[in-house]
Amino acid sequence: MMRASSKSNGLKTAAVTLFLFMVVCFTMLPFFQMVVLSFTSTLPRDGIAQGQFSTINFRNILASPLLSGSIVNSIVYVTLNVVITILVALPAAYAISRYRFAGDRHVFLLLIAFRITPPVVLTLPVFILFAKVGLVNSPLGIALVHCVFNIPIAIWILESFISAVPKELDETAFLDGYSLPRYFVKQLLPLIASGVGVTAFFCFMFSWVEVVFARILTVTGGKPITMAINTLYGFRTDIGLVMAMTLVSLIPGLAVIYFIRNHIAKGFVVRS
Amino acid sequence: MRMHRLDCGATLGPEQCFGPNLFHRYFQVPACRSVFQTQSTEKTSEKTVTLSSPYRSEIQTSSAWWLLLPALSVLAFVGVLPLLTIFNYSFFDIFTLESRFWIGTEWYREILSSSRFFESLARSLVFSAIILSIQIPLGVFIALLLPRDGKTGMAFLMMLALPLMVPWNTVPSMWVSFLGNPAGFGGRFLAMFGVDFDYKFNALHTWILLVAMDTWHWIGLVVILCYSSLSTIPPAHYQAAAIDGASRLQVFRFVELPKMSAVLMMALLLRFMDSFMIYTEAFRVNAGGPKDATTFLSLDLGEEIAAFNYGPAAARSIIYFMIVLAIAWSFRTIMNIRRDQTLGARQR
Repeated sequence: MMRASSKSNGLKTAAVTLFLFMVVCFTMLPFFQMVVLSFTSTLPRDGIAQGQFSTINFRNILASPLLSGSIVNSIVYVTLNVVITILVALPAAYAISRYRFAGDRHVFLLLIAFRITPPVVLTLPVFILFAKVGLVNSPLGIALVHCVFNIPIAIWILESFISAVPKELDETAFLDGYSLPRYFVKQLLPLIASGVGVTAFFCFMFSWVEVVFARILTVTGGKPITMAINTLYGFRTDIGLVMAMTLVSLIPGLAVIYFIRNHIAKGFVVRS
Repeated sequence: MRMHRLDCGATLGPEQCFGPNLFHRYFQVPACRSVFQTQSTEKTSEKTVTLSSPYRSEIQTSSAWWLLLPALSVLAFVGVLPLLTIFNYSFFDIFTLESRFWIGTEWYREILSSSRFFESLARSLVFSAIILSIQIPLGVFIALLLPRDGKTGMAFLMMLALPLMVPWNTVPSMWVSFLGNPAGFGGRFLAMFGVDFDYKFNALHTWILLVAMDTWHWIGLVVILCYSSLSTIPPAHYQAAAIDGASRLQVFRFVELPKMSAVLMMALLLRFMDSFMIYTEAFRVNAGGPKDATTFLSLDLGEEIAAFNYGPAAARSIIYFMIVLAIAWSFRTIMNIRRDQTLGARQR
């Protein structure tokens, strides 16, 4: 009896291990392909045979002001977006978590409506509107328009973190003479720091890789990485250069994942 | 309704329910539940309000709107204003933005009477259905299998988050050179089994490539969301289930699933919306081909915007927005009804 169960346990562990190994393969093999291609010369060139190992793609990135400049543009607009989103989402999440007010049940539905608005739907009017106020070709424009899907997510996540902080803490602080802003910065923020981290991760993730808005808002300049890559597609696409650029664009993402790893694993529950 | 909430909040004061709301969230305090029972004569949808009321301040205040103001004004500028603009455009025939003619609902009638629209809609719905039925169960499954603490689980999460950071317009390039190219690792693997993978001209293969690519791209999001809610379940709950002799399935059904429900709702909505309106990925792989077999709703719209057909594009955008809104709303309604039912069942 005992032996049978331990044997089936062993089988189970083996099956789980095999399954997780397949997940690893499925996830990592395309990346492996990408790395290999990025170190391969994929177009015929003088002095380098096609398909040969080479660092030409990375040298090309450094040599092109469009490509290397796009990395800076991307970092600027994503940082702006994360900062704006968290700054406006924090008070909103606090209000939804702590106050009962007319229409509070509808705020969540409203937020969902914004998150699910398809970007393609908004492209045309956003371009016309932003052209009028001079936000085209500037990182600020992209940062602002990405708020439309990031603010709802940010409020959703932050609200659940704030709700996990006992309300009595607010009341004690107010009795001690704290003003709301001071309480917010001095006491609440340190408690929900990991929530802010998780929110920043999600905002970064949705903003860094976005293509539709980024394309219409960068006509002549200020192109982020995604759009710089778009210019590489053509009649004879240098796929090695595209992959090298993708590899470079992954580095900040990797850094963000590394910084956030503990907070994600620690866990959070969002409110329905 | 207001009175009821206030009343309930008063009965369920912190002193009765042991203060910290975390405690409520993890343990259903019997005393509180009995109060819900006696007061649950209200409409079912109000129960959720009753449940959340102990964590909230009961002061009715308009100052809350001041705190919401920054977020709402940004959303109004980048969300509401463009939507209104496009709603306005959809009733005009527009040559240039200065010269336009009012034509009423003609664009709407034209789109809604074309078979192409309904074919694209069907394709988008089927695509979303496939994506959701693969990614949600698979994501939950992986999250359940991952070790809950220690380095292995974290390493897995970090790995699964990696595809989320790949620019959307290079995801198709990666997959085409991985699977679509005979020299790629995936292509060679398929050739080993004698599969002649032809994503350009074989519709089924294009669909397989799109589904595999989307699953690779987004499965991490589902796993991260599920994993993070699973790791908030205290070990005591598992111990209690073990003492009761619960099977693995019962532990999932009664301990883990309730904890994940909200997060799953979020994953469902995000995955539905992004797959239903898939644009960049589908366009880059095969531009809607072969023979329109992967022409989804958004590709039709993209075509119209690229051709500067402002009027039809605007009408189409409004129709899409309405479809998405309707589906999301019904999702939510169904989820709420089901949750209320399970809550009701547990109280009985």
